[in-house]
Amino acid sequence: MIAPAPAPPFEVPDAVKFAVPLFVLLIVLEMLYVRFLKKGRYQITDSAASLSMGFGNQVVGTLFGAAIQTAAYLWVYEHRIFTLPWTWPVMVACFFGEDLAYYWFHRVAHERRFFWASHVVHHSSQHYNLTTALRQTWTGALGFNYIFWLPLLFFGFPPLMVAMFSGFSLVYQFWIHTELIDRMGPFEWIFNTPSHHRVHHAINAKYLDANYGGVLIIWDRMFGSFIAEDKKEPPRYGIVSQLGTFNPFRVALHEWAGIFRDVASAKSPREVWGYIFGPPGWSPDGSRKTSASIKRDWAARQAAAVPAE
Amino acid sequence: MSQADLISTGVSAAFVLIMVGFAWLLGFRKTSKLDDAEIAKLAAAEGARVEAAAYDDKGRTAVAKLDGGKLLIAKVMADGVSARVMGQGQARVHAGKRNVSLTFGDLGYPSLNMRLENPPAWLTELGAQS
Repeated sequence: MIAPAPAPPFEVPDAVKFAVPLFVLLIVLEMLYVRFLKKGRYQITDSAASLSMGFGNQVVGTLFGAAIQTAAYLWVYEHRIFTLPWTWPVMVACFFGEDLAYYWFHRVAHERRFFWASHVVHHSSQHYNLTTALRQTWTGALGFNYIFWLPLLFFGFPPLMVAMFSGFSLVYQFWIHTELIDRMGPFEWIFNTPSHHRVHHAINAKYLDANYGGVLIIWDRMFGSFIAEDKKEPPRYGIVSQLGTFNPFRVALHEWAGIFRDVASAKSPREVWGYIFGPPGWSPDGSRKTSASIKRDWAARQAAAVPAE
Repeated sequence: MSQADLISTGVSAAFVLIMVGFAWLLGFRKTSKLDDAEIAKLAAAEGARVEAAAYDDKGRTAVAKLDGGKLLIAKVMADGVSARVMGQGQARVHAGKRNVSLTFGDLGYPSLNMRLENPPAWLTELGAQS
């Protein structure tokens, strides 16, 4: 019989629940700023869609998402290799471990269509403001997004500790969804900031597939996915094939429907695999656009534009 | 769902309605309109040129025939535009006397139902072919 999880020495806060009033206040302030100082963009239909997606995410999470994730966390934790206590050094390690897990989840969510099918929702707005932060997936738990955190449980970090730092990360990432905050000096060397995250949400070829970090940007710097915002290239937001709908159900499920449609037309197991686990935009004949092909075409155009010495 | 969950869901629903109402009060209701310049810009981004274009009566949806035989479909999305370029076989076109509908089989891009006073001949022809 494996030892029970060590009890936390304090009441673990539900960071997201406590942060909701702050979210509301910041959205109101941002809307007023945009309205009266004419910087940034808001549009009612877009914000309504984003907020509806956030609401749906909460409903799905309450109904079964949280239960699926908790069951997976507890099952893996029962098979852990160590039993780590609630001490400061362990909590510091867990913070870094959680943020690293988030980095890899986020990177894979952009590079593999199966995970992109859930995450695309968050990128589907052509706007970038605090309501965009709340445009969240409805299919994360069904899409196995939580598997990226399971190694932490297997190593022996208490499930509640991992959940606590995931909550902090989610709250941290709210305020970086804004066009109102410019560059932030040395803070940007280590932390994810509005500038870094604008690049992440941009569809300009130069910016595609970059800045996956949650709280820390150091992972992008370490693993070669960091791109700095360029004042000469303002970000354009959304997804490469912009959606033609604000219907929350279509927004939530369109990429899954695309996967099913493509798999139904696949002519070989290789094609089935490519349509599900290839990069978003993969096609057997390469006729569709992927991030890599868009970046390649852009680089070729840049090279052609440089006059010969 | 526990009682606390129900309360929290209700509070969230109220929050959504209040925020949307606030956005309305502040006047964030601007919408785009499609015209030749916008369609030409969208085509140029795909390395193509517009041969002919048709717009619905309100300028909210458009379909254009590009050089090379592809179609460009565009739709106003609030104060932005969403466009797709596709082969003629990828859109099912149904052309009536005063309306044209285009269907794409993409959950993220619902059918376009365009009201046009006089659909151009090339669009009616497309309808006859599909």
